[in-house]
Amino acid sequence: MAIEIPKTTYTGKIKEIKLGKDEKAVVVGGESCYPFYLFEGEMPHLPRIAMEVYDSPPEEWPEAALEPFAGITDDPAAWARKCIDDYGAEMLCLQLASTDPNGLDRGAKEAAEVVKKVADAVDVPLIVWGTANHDKDVEVFRKVTEVCHGKNLIIGPVEEGDHKQLGAAAIGYQHTVAASTPIDINLAKQLNILLGNLGVPDELIVMDPTVSGIGYGIEYAYSVMERMRMAALTQQDDKLQFPIICNIAKEVWKAKEAQISEKDDPTMGDAKKRGVLLEAMSAMCLLIAGADVLIMRHPEAIKLVKDMMAELTAA
Amino acid sequence: MILIGENINIMSKVIGGAIKEKNPKPIQDLARAEAEAGMDYLDLNIGPARKAGDELMTWVVNTIQEVTDKPLSLDTTNPMAMEAGLKANKSKSLINSISLVRMEEELPLVKKYNADFIGLLWGREGMPRDASERAVIAADLMYKANEMGIANDSIWFDPIVTPVVNVEASQVKPCLEFMSFLEDVVPGCKSAVGLSNVSNGAPTHLRPWLNRTYLMMLMKYGLHAAIVDAFDTDLIKIANGERPELLSLVHHIMDGEKPDYASLSEEEAKYAKTVRVLTGESLYSHSWLEL
Repeated sequence: MAIEIPKTTYTGKIKEIKLGKDEKAVVVGGESCYPFYLFEGEMPHLPRIAMEVYDSPPEEWPEAALEPFAGITDDPAAWARKCIDDYGAEMLCLQLASTDPNGLDRGAKEAAEVVKKVADAVDVPLIVWGTANHDKDVEVFRKVTEVCHGKNLIIGPVEEGDHKQLGAAAIGYQHTVAASTPIDINLAKQLNILLGNLGVPDELIVMDPTVSGIGYGIEYAYSVMERMRMAALTQQDDKLQFPIICNIAKEVWKAKEAQISEKDDPTMGDAKKRGVLLEAMSAMCLLIAGADVLIMRHPEAIKLVKDMMAELTAA
Repeated sequence: MILIGENINIMSKVIGGAIKEKNPKPIQDLARAEAEAGMDYLDLNIGPARKAGDELMTWVVNTIQEVTDKPLSLDTTNPMAMEAGLKANKSKSLINSISLVRMEEELPLVKKYNADFIGLLWGREGMPRDASERAVIAADLMYKANEMGIANDSIWFDPIVTPVVNVEASQVKPCLEFMSFLEDVVPGCKSAVGLSNVSNGAPTHLRPWLNRTYLMMLMKYGLHAAIVDAFDTDLIKIANGERPELLSLVHHIMDGEKPDYASLSEEEAKYAKTVRVLTGESLYSHSWLEL
């Protein structure tokens, strides 16, 4: 007797969102099935990986993460070029770590100059990530969105507490927002509704569900993303039919398991291999949960994930 | 349906203060108002009452009996306070509540004081996961009560209402399913729910929509009693059968009919949307009525 394999009935589709501009713009989303369920539907655009660039030299990165960018971490524009020229980055994410009021507390004007410099140096889509301090992010992004008018940035995190100001800036200067909520599907839906009420058009929204790495609660992020896709694809929940962006690299590399050297704890094994694998495996988990854009750090971890995607989608 | 007013609760600032100061007036005013609003029972929630709970419950019961003869639902987790309340109460008492965990010590009170009790379907391992687990707990409670000579019509089973805001842990479906076969599993037993919990965490001004809609959904399966906000007049009308058209709308949607929003009034559309949120067909968000 022939076995009939059960099939999910999909009634919805993820919105296709264009990120960046001109030739190097990318389109994400468009899925009509669960992640990589290509036997049930389509994934017209494979997930994209944005390589991280920091606006100031990272202070707490382990050796393995610094090594690929040695000599250029004090020059964000050169770092950005290296990601593209040497590592084939198709997207970038500039982390505005130096604006953190609890750290260097660099001002809005200076931050905007750095963003502009990087944006001018590259042609791939550029994500710009703040510190999630609402007052500071509002100040910084007001300036950044203005001086980068026409660059079609993706700005985040846009949270309930600052969505009005950041949403307005995004509408005014034509940037995309990464709507960010703390691992909670109801709040994610609510923020998308609020952005819609504010007048942010659908084509300028992607969602950041807030993620963590393996060993630090990635299963919660996984469940929320999975539930988002179920609502979007099987319950026609159009407020959740947005591509998902995952800011995973910094979560992985700050963990003790990625930080500690082999010398300090020989039982942990080779530090580079460990960090790269942790990043790649965390990213892979998020991909099969529904990520459309991954923010990643180590070129070797990125390569592993890309190979995996190629295998999953091979005809 | 039996309506039990929830408003005399130690968690309320006014009532909590009045209980602490042994000031009868605010409590009596509220009891009178609840009775006038049409409540059949008044719930007296004095919390865990760890210190001198018996004395406290006696005082609260006597204070209320001075202004109303409505039956009382005694709501405390302190067994000494419970017994003191049963002793002081001249009208019929409803013990709120008894679960498997402490039934050995608490069920004898039901018999001794000829009371009714709310049988909370909380398992030995916590929240039951589905309707079947609720049925098993209900049967256990019923057998134990019967052994002690308590009749089934004294048992009001509470399938446990949880907030819809917490979607993944929502108990709406298992509660409704349990209600649909209650009569087969524990024949002759009744039912009661703490209704307002369904809207816990939702914006205050929107909570009545969730409470009323869920009430109508439970009414589909003959809900016997609900602990409710005594001052939600629309909810009381619904409970008293004065809104049959809404009831029919809600029940049709539960049966799978797609609401035709164009033909619905604004009020009806809100109830229709709320049914879909409660059943999980539409994911909850604070703006669910606007979508």
